[in-house]
Amino acid sequence: MLRVLRVLLTIWAVKLSALAIRALGRPGTHTPGLIARKLHPGIIGAVRHPARVIAVTGTNGKTTVSNLLAEALEAEGLRVASNRSGSNIAAGVATALIGAVSWTGRPKADIAVIEMDERSAAIILPGLSPDLLVCMNLTRDSIKRNAHPAYVAWIISSALPVNTSLVLNADDLIASSLGSESNPRVYFAVDRLPTDGDRPSGAAVDIEICPVCDHTLSWEYWRFNHIGKAYCPACGFRSPEAAYRARDVDAASGRVTLELDGQSRQARLINDNIVNVYNEIAVAAVLDQLSVPKDRIVAAFELLSPPTTRFAAEVVGDVQLVRLLTKGLVGVACSRAFEYLTSFRGRKAVVLNIDEASERSTDVENTAWTYDADYEYLADDSIAQIVIGGARRHDQALRLAIAGVDPARIVTVESETAAADLIELDGVDEVFNLHSVHNALSTGTPVQRRLRARLEGSAERESGAESNSSSSAAS
Amino acid sequence: MSRALTIEVLFPEIANLHGDNANIAYLAQCRPDARVIRTGLTDTPAFVSSSVDLVYLGPLTELGQLKAIERLRPYRDQIVSLIEAGTVFLFTQNALEVLGARIRNDDMSYDVPGLGVFELESTVRMFGRYNGKVMGMVPEVGAEHPVLGYKSQFSMVTAPQSLPGFLTADRGIGRDTATAVEGVRVGNFIGTSLLGPLLVVNPHFTRSLLAQLDPDSEPTLAHEQLALAAYEARLSDFRVQRRWHHFERVLPTRRA
Repeated sequence: MLRVLRVLLTIWAVKLSALAIRALGRPGTHTPGLIARKLHPGIIGAVRHPARVIAVTGTNGKTTVSNLLAEALEAEGLRVASNRSGSNIAAGVATALIGAVSWTGRPKADIAVIEMDERSAAIILPGLSPDLLVCMNLTRDSIKRNAHPAYVAWIISSALPVNTSLVLNADDLIASSLGSESNPRVYFAVDRLPTDGDRPSGAAVDIEICPVCDHTLSWEYWRFNHIGKAYCPACGFRSPEAAYRARDVDAASGRVTLELDGQSRQARLINDNIVNVYNEIAVAAVLDQLSVPKDRIVAAFELLSPPTTRFAAEVVGDVQLVRLLTKGLVGVACSRAFEYLTSFRGRKAVVLNIDEASERSTDVENTAWTYDADYEYLADDSIAQIVIGGARRHDQALRLAIAGVDPARIVTVESETAAADLIELDGVDEVFNLHSVHNALSTGTPVQRRLRARLEGSAERESGAESNSSSSAAS
Repeated sequence: MSRALTIEVLFPEIANLHGDNANIAYLAQCRPDARVIRTGLTDTPAFVSSSVDLVYLGPLTELGQLKAIERLRPYRDQIVSLIEAGTVFLFTQNALEVLGARIRNDDMSYDVPGLGVFELESTVRMFGRYNGKVMGMVPEVGAEHPVLGYKSQFSMVTAPQSLPGFLTADRGIGRDTATAVEGVRVGNFIGTSLLGPLLVVNPHFTRSLLAQLDPDSEPTLAHEQLALAAYEARLSDFRVQRRWHHFERVLPTRRA
């Protein structure tokens, strides 16, 4: 009885605090959860859950997949509880779960879709006890917080309830090894792409040897980091076979073939970025596991779209201005951003501001992570100039030089925003504004504004010159 | 007269965390003539049968540490002989622990003997990651150019005071929170938990290492101006008091 009362008191306290915070104009998605965990540390497990609980985790893609799943399930007519507007650590999860019960503690939702910070699994998973856990991938992240992918895998596996079903990425030998034999599991994958290689390269490859016999793995296809399909020529070990696969990815037509547990369906490609291809097949796998009819899964992708906050492009005059979130401290994320940058075909100029803002004045950033990132992508002749701003600009410049970038193409400046003034715009087809997460507003936005203004000025001057030139010719 | 250097990188397929492979990439750019041997986990180390100027082992996962111990155990006595003979070794981050007497990891339920080359023990706490900066003088380059580095680690190491350190921290902690003595230095063996990567972040130290590896040639740093500019900027920041935190101080020892 006392236990029930404590849970109810916690629910009331959280709901009242959320109301008060929202009355002040703030979202109230995190602090109420902090209060909840203070009042009842086991509240994630003590509050009644919806009939089904899905958790989505991994290094990259968990936010997108959670959001897409929630949208798709709502479209199926289900009442969905989620933390999509809040945080993915324990406090955000507690807030979402309490938000999904009435004042008397009765579930109001049919299903919960919970995005879970992978590093918080030890705190969240035992109480959440999801029916189904999706892991998108486990790649290198913050050296300080996440150490290495095998560490995060160990945290998740150690906290995973034995009955939780798993939906795992077969192309990631670390993520696909989660859990124990007692956990039912299915896998998803993306079949070989024309851009795939046959052997790993790059700075951060976390699986190169066979987990059974230590011999060097061979690869049916290798995509990036340790993502790909591997086998051991010595002992026969292989990546798991995926029941859910995306194949024939056609960016031009915007279509993809989804293999859904033995049945093929053509579907709309929600986005041609490889990360979003994985997101799409993972969403399809979960919906199929939830017994959503396959034709309705395919139909859902006609409407679903991943958020595009990490990338924005605009054309100013003849130049494409591209703003690209390049998450500092996380080498793998930077590698993907650099790779994407080089997929543009024109002559490029790059503003690079990816210092960790939170360490700028109270610490000295450890730039070791830059050596886990493939700066070698930027040693490309199509990149005319790279202007680096920020406190660690010399470290970035050195990293670029070690990667093979001609030092003559590198400019450094202390002010991050001033980098936008130093970039040479003449003769370039694309200008890139690369910034990190914590300096997105303080640096990314003003740099974008300044670059836009300079490009508009150039365009106006050119148009004025053309107009003068035509008037001269006419006269 | 300059001679070709031979650098052996042990187990690069598993000892490659935290960007530390750049230690060797940078060294190879400083000495483009160097022969870099990458010894895989199932290979016999080159140092067993041929002359090697530098043996390098980088940061490992916890499982990786155990694999490295298993693979190096047959060569334990040769490693001792090479250290005694003055071969240069550089073991970074938790690679040093492989050569210790014991690694204890209660969270992962193991307590295993290391190679026992050095009398040091490491305790791994999987939920107690330590992050911090370290600045300290090394005899090769003196007080004007202290070594700068970072710690990001689950383990702390204890060793007798008689085991010389790589450096004594002026700021930051050493082998654990109770000592300013960081790493191990025995002959030309250097083991340090410092990340950076050490040789990229500390060009003055790298120059001295190059001179040590090949005393007959003038050491040349790759991208010297950029490396020195980065070092000076970091040193300047390391010298600012407010950038140091309470957990970056050596605690009063309670040991006997």
